[in-house]
Amino acid sequence: MIEVEGVGKRFKEVVAVDSVSFNAADGRITGLLGENGAGKSTTLRMIATILRADRGTVRIDGVDVNRDAPAARARLGVLPHAHGLYARLTGRENIRYYGELNGLSGAALEHRIESLAARLDIGDFIDRRTEGFSHGQKMKIALARALIHDPKNVVLDEPTNGLDVMATRALRDVIRGLRAEGRCVLFSSHVMQEVAALCDDIRIIHNGRLVASGTPDALREQTGEADLEEAFVKAIANAGSSTWAA
Amino acid sequence: MGGVIWTVFRKEARDNARDRRTLLRVFLLGPLLGPVIFAGVMGAVINTAVGSAEKPLVLPVAGAEGAPNLVAYLRAHNTEIKSAPADPEAAVRSGKADAVLVVPKGFGKSLGAGEPAEIDVVLDAANQAADKTVRRLKALLDGYGSRLASLRLLARGINPLAIRPLAVVDRDVSTPQARGASLLGMVPYFCLFAVLMGGFYLAIDTTAGERERGSLEPLLGTATSRGALMLGKLGATALFSLISLIIAVIAFGISVPSLPVEQLGMQVIFGPMQVLWVFVICLPFVFLGSALLTVVAAFSRSFKEAQAWLSVVVIVPVIPLIFTAVHPVHPQAWMMLVPSLSQDLLITAVMKGAPLNAGFLALSAGSTLIVAAALAAYATKLYRREALVV
Repeated sequence: MIEVEGVGKRFKEVVAVDSVSFNAADGRITGLLGENGAGKSTTLRMIATILRADRGTVRIDGVDVNRDAPAARARLGVLPHAHGLYARLTGRENIRYYGELNGLSGAALEHRIESLAARLDIGDFIDRRTEGFSHGQKMKIALARALIHDPKNVVLDEPTNGLDVMATRALRDVIRGLRAEGRCVLFSSHVMQEVAALCDDIRIIHNGRLVASGTPDALREQTGEADLEEAFVKAIANAGSSTWAA
Repeated sequence: MGGVIWTVFRKEARDNARDRRTLLRVFLLGPLLGPVIFAGVMGAVINTAVGSAEKPLVLPVAGAEGAPNLVAYLRAHNTEIKSAPADPEAAVRSGKADAVLVVPKGFGKSLGAGEPAEIDVVLDAANQAADKTVRRLKALLDGYGSRLASLRLLARGINPLAIRPLAVVDRDVSTPQARGASLLGMVPYFCLFAVLMGGFYLAIDTTAGERERGSLEPLLGTATSRGALMLGKLGATALFSLISLIIAVIAFGISVPSLPVEQLGMQVIFGPMQVLWVFVICLPFVFLGSALLTVVAAFSRSFKEAQAWLSVVVIVPVIPLIFTAVHPVHPQAWMMLVPSLSQDLLITAVMKGAPLNAGFLALSAGSTLIVAAALAAYATKLYRREALVV
């Protein structure tokens, strides 16, 4: 369970996130939708405690990130925008490093790596150095790394960017699998089809503010548009401040 | 916390050990540059010094027939007399001759009359290469002059010693080893340089490099404290600095004793004991250097910026060296509180063969480690900044 409460963030004069509140429930896939520069990544970074909110707070399973950031991070698996694998280490070494950083070790850690390798189908290349990996292979290793400590909450920042069709489908299956295990999955995207195909809940961010929230059906109803993309355009147009989008 | 530091330390050491560029820097460029340059340059300097002292002095003399006795004296003192060029001044100005001795027409007459006989040395004071020749020539002329003076006094029945009321005797208390130490002035700098070069690439790679490759953000998203991450990276930087230092002191231990300094009446003792002491003296600087490199790398926005800053930082330890070269000092307690100056002075003392002052060593190590700890604390602060990632 991820609860975001009135968080805001500015970088000098630029307001990246004005005030955003929403939650992402366990056993559901929540999509954070918005144009480029709407404030999605900044919001996710505040959830991951990479950035500290100027105001408001974030709770991960009830743990306030401002009070106990390491405990909050321990409940969170993050797949950031840039995968950030170590090119000179093998896939397995990359994953093992994060396992050790999260307090795992020995047979338990190796067993966990094996089960993730089977699940994400990375056994063929896990023992090669990651420098020659394809985009999809890198994403899978980064995902295994984010899941190594079995986090209840998973945050993915534009995970399908640059993936081919097969890799995208494989990723969707993994995300659905995470939901089936009762995890809270929060992912950001600016691709409507992506969100429509996966999400149980949608949160739309525009100009650093939350402008719409609800299930896909509820959003269609609110905006009176049958097509989710039209609903999205209408939602941000109704928000007013950015009239060109209408 | 300890587990995280160890995990990060192991990962960074392994990751960078797989990077050829880093290894080249750590094991070759940084530590061996000093000893190799040193041995090469000093060897060449010593050989020219030794060689030119034995070579005959080549001297063009104009009007040699007017001073046969002088010419005979010069020949007897390892001088090769040549006929003078048509224009002695032009020859010296153009550097064709280091110096030309010109015997004026009335030389013999003035000598016979007992007047000061003019004899001209054509020289170019701005030509440093000719300096040695000129000095040798003047010393020979002085010697010839005082021999004539003695003969004149004897001819008048006076003991020549009467005009030497003082007998000044130099009693040099320096040991050949202390004289040799003056040749080794660059050794302390090269040791400290090796320390900084050893950690240079690692400090950049583990901080600015991680940020640039996008791997820092997920790393900071793990359930670890940023302080522990920093200490693990600092430890790996220190390990590479340490390896570089060990290679450098061993290389000096091999290259310094191979210099032919005995031929200059000097002696250098740079055996295993000295190598060990130089290592012990530099050891605390490994931590200071690593912490300094980490601070600068964490402060920089990019790999390139870090590289630019660190290139300046590696010059810092040379500042005390310039200071002691321009203004030689006797080691004092307060100087032991200045990192790099204290290492410089202690290493110099070891090379002079002086007994190591344990109090000084403790002061040097203590102050260096305190500065290192302060820098590490500052690095932790930098790691907690948001600007580290964004």
